[in-house]
Amino acid sequence: MKTELSKMRNIGISAHIDSGKTTLTERILFYCKKIHKIHEVRGKDGVGATMDSMELEKERGITIASAATRVFWENYSINIIDTPGHVDFTIEVERALRVLDGAVLVLCSVGGVQSQSVTVDRQLKRYNVPRLAFINKLDRVGADPIKVKEQLIEKLGHNAVLMQVPIGLEDNHQGVIDLVTMEAVTFEGANGEIVRRGATPEHLKAEAYEKREEMLDAVSMFSDELMEAILEDKVTENLIYDAVRRGTLSQKLTPVFMGSAYKNKGIQLLLDGITRYLPCPADTETTALDLDKEGEKIGLLPDPQKPSVSLVFKLEDGPYGQLTYIRIYQGTIRKGEELLNTRSGKKFRVGRLIRMHADSVEDDISEALCGDIVALFGIDCASGDTFVKPGLNIAMTPTYTPEPVISLAISTSDKRTSDKLSKALNRFTKEDPTFKTYVDPESKQTIIQGMGELHLDVYIERMKREYKVPVETGKPEVAYRETISRKIDFDYTHKKQTGGAGQFGRVIGTIEPLSEGSYEFVDNVKGGHIPREFIPSCNKGFQAALKKGRLTGFPIVGIKVTLTDGQAHAVDSSDLAFQTAARDAFYKSYSKASPYILEPIMKVSVEGPSEFAGNVFSSINQRRGIIVSSLEDGTFARVDAEVPLSEMFGYATTLRSLTQGKAEFTMEFLKYGRVPSNIAEELMENYEKKRGHKGD
Amino acid sequence: MVKTELIKRSPLRILEKAMRGGLGRGNIAALASRKGVGKTACLVHIATDKLFQNKPVIHVSYSSRVDYIINWYEDIFKEIAKKRQLESAVTVHDEIIKNRVIMNFKQEGTQTEQVLKSLEAMIRDGNFAAETIIIDGFDFSRSSRDDLKQFKTFAQRLGLEIWFSASLKGNEPLFDDKGLPLVLKNYMEEISVIITLRYQEEFIRLQMVKSHGETIPGELPLTLDPKTLLIAE
Repeated sequence: MKTELSKMRNIGISAHIDSGKTTLTERILFYCKKIHKIHEVRGKDGVGATMDSMELEKERGITIASAATRVFWENYSINIIDTPGHVDFTIEVERALRVLDGAVLVLCSVGGVQSQSVTVDRQLKRYNVPRLAFINKLDRVGADPIKVKEQLIEKLGHNAVLMQVPIGLEDNHQGVIDLVTMEAVTFEGANGEIVRRGATPEHLKAEAYEKREEMLDAVSMFSDELMEAILEDKVTENLIYDAVRRGTLSQKLTPVFMGSAYKNKGIQLLLDGITRYLPCPADTETTALDLDKEGEKIGLLPDPQKPSVSLVFKLEDGPYGQLTYIRIYQGTIRKGEELLNTRSGKKFRVGRLIRMHADSVEDDISEALCGDIVALFGIDCASGDTFVKPGLNIAMTPTYTPEPVISLAISTSDKRTSDKLSKALNRFTKEDPTFKTYVDPESKQTIIQGMGELHLDVYIERMKREYKVPVETGKPEVAYRETISRKIDFDYTHKKQTGGAGQFGRVIGTIEPLSEGSYEFVDNVKGGHIPREFIPSCNKGFQAALKKGRLTGFPIVGIKVTLTDGQAHAVDSSDLAFQTAARDAFYKSYSKASPYILEPIMKVSVEGPSEFAGNVFSSINQRRGIIVSSLEDGTFARVDAEVPLSEMFGYATTLRSLTQGKAEFTMEFLKYGRVPSNIAEELMENYEKKRGHKGD
Repeated sequence: MVKTELIKRSPLRILEKAMRGGLGRGNIAALASRKGVGKTACLVHIATDKLFQNKPVIHVSYSSRVDYIINWYEDIFKEIAKKRQLESAVTVHDEIIKNRVIMNFKQEGTQTEQVLKSLEAMIRDGNFAAETIIIDGFDFSRSSRDDLKQFKTFAQRLGLEIWFSASLKGNEPLFDDKGLPLVLKNYMEEISVIITLRYQEEFIRLQMVKSHGETIPGELPLTLDPKTLLIAE
């Protein structure tokens, strides 16, 4: 079915964990007739909510991977990107936000604006995503939607305006009064599918009229027509709708809806709100980078006739093969046509074009227009790639992918499970660019890397559950490096004459610190003292020496080697002899070049209520951190600091107890910095001990 | 030039001399001028001079964004390093930034109590032994004498030097007959040193109009170079 651009919505549902986001999504799918039976998140029927595609999510009651699905409401087509709500999965959230035009911020009527809501809201703000608020769980004990609306204003700085007031709260929650039409809306039928509109009950009239006045006051700021109409007492519903839409699109107004997803109340009105107030793809300006003009920004037009441009925002290795989720920004993509991946420069043919519903493939389609979100099958690409019609050479702004900050050694018991393990790892790394894995050549251990302790925990859980691989884990580890601080000369001869072919090679030159890059090799040998064919052997020998520093066993970086002279033997010199000469020359000289240890320094941001700033300062100070700046904005505070990664393990727990769980932090790799001498000594001692055990 | 030489030859030694040894702990100074003349540049130069001497500095800002302030420091450092041909500038730079914290108070009308509470938290809980506090963007015209009293008491209690910038707004006259900025009139008891910045031909002239209890008519032999934004002789 084709849909005009103005009737298309790409929305996300963002929320604090446990505010009922998945249940809400489930209800939306239900009312849009996508699914015919409602499953609960922690369902007794053992099926689980449709959007939670993974076992683990079902058990924990959280949503880890975002899935895209399309529904129809009235004659609007809505693509819903279900975004996860936990801080360790922000890469998922950020990638989803990139392709959204609008969002629903779900808040719990009891918990209100929680720390996670603050983070999610900031992410939405960063991507300029207009939003509606939905205050959920009005059936809960202690529900107070008015308080939550005030928090939206105070804590998030939104110009939040109630579009509804509740009819009863907690056990008595029956529905809402629509402040635009001034009707009492209640929900009947087994699943609340029958929407009844009636007169506002007498006892609620005063409150409803008061809130309607407030709403009109706030909303009329965005429409002169409405302002006039108010003065002349000629307000129409359409005038209000139009003004709210304008305010929402400009991100200067947040219309607030409410209800209870669990009790099937208020969802249909939220859907009306989504179609009325959130932007269509044409309302959002999109720019891309022109690769022919050194990345100059160019605007994309949501015009189906233009050559197509689309962005890969998610890969998923599903039971039917690899799925590539894309958002089309310009033009039309047709089945069978050829597209170009501007990152790899490779062309490919669009085999199958699919619309997705949670984790079951929905329907094959022959074409998809700009503004839409669809999936492709079996395309070799990475998240963040841009697909264009051949002839164009542009890229969407690259999706930001943070570096992994923590690594963990994992192992399995036997051969059979290790095959399954590599299958699991292969899938995870494709799906999630922040999850990386490699085999340590030293210990032969499999190392996984990720964004935090919880991030890796979830994958270890998934290995156990989905792949039945019981894994043992080591302690989380920091990736140290070594480097030197002095320039030194070397002159080393490698000689071996113990029967058979001898070995001879002499190398002369300098080793010095290199400020940019990890290794540089300069050949200044004159007069053929080292035959040409053995120069690469020397280079190889030096590089071999860099793989393992003498202080900690971690790689050596920031080294420039200049080879100035040497000597060869007509018979005994060989590739191997010069490799050995170079390697041993480095080993012998290394300690004279005043080597030291480097450690990863993280850029850490802590955010929370300003009353805890002192606790945060001291926690950073105790971790050898440097506070770069702090920012206080009313009751909210943010502290930016540089802290060694090795000191950050367990920080989430510490921070939680220091701030009653009200603060949270993010961190990313910043640079390598010198390890202070007392800690360096400890590291070297530990390395000595380890080597001693191995008899190395 | 090595760092110690650079400290010795800094034009700020002249400023200290004019203040008879410096501002001194427990005291408040104010740099006053119209907007855009160079108060922030002067404050950042003063702060950088302290940083060169390994004295920790907290830079409090009421208006600017953090990256904007950091850029100020980077620019001033670069200009000083260039002018004096500072040896191992990168190492010096990395050392001194460890002694600098920027604290931003974004919301309009942040209470002085709150600012001081956070400053104290930074110094005590954050174990940041600041000697100098730079305060940029404080609005004297909208504050009360009580605010300045609180700052003064705080400076005395913790043994701090506090340097304010004071923006001069509105119509002339901005100064009284002694050259004192009118906007600071109510705060004369709390502020020990006042320096004004005024355009004089192609230079910006620094003038000390109050120094520890006495008003000194007479110019400092210092200017602000409008190109490098450094204080110079």
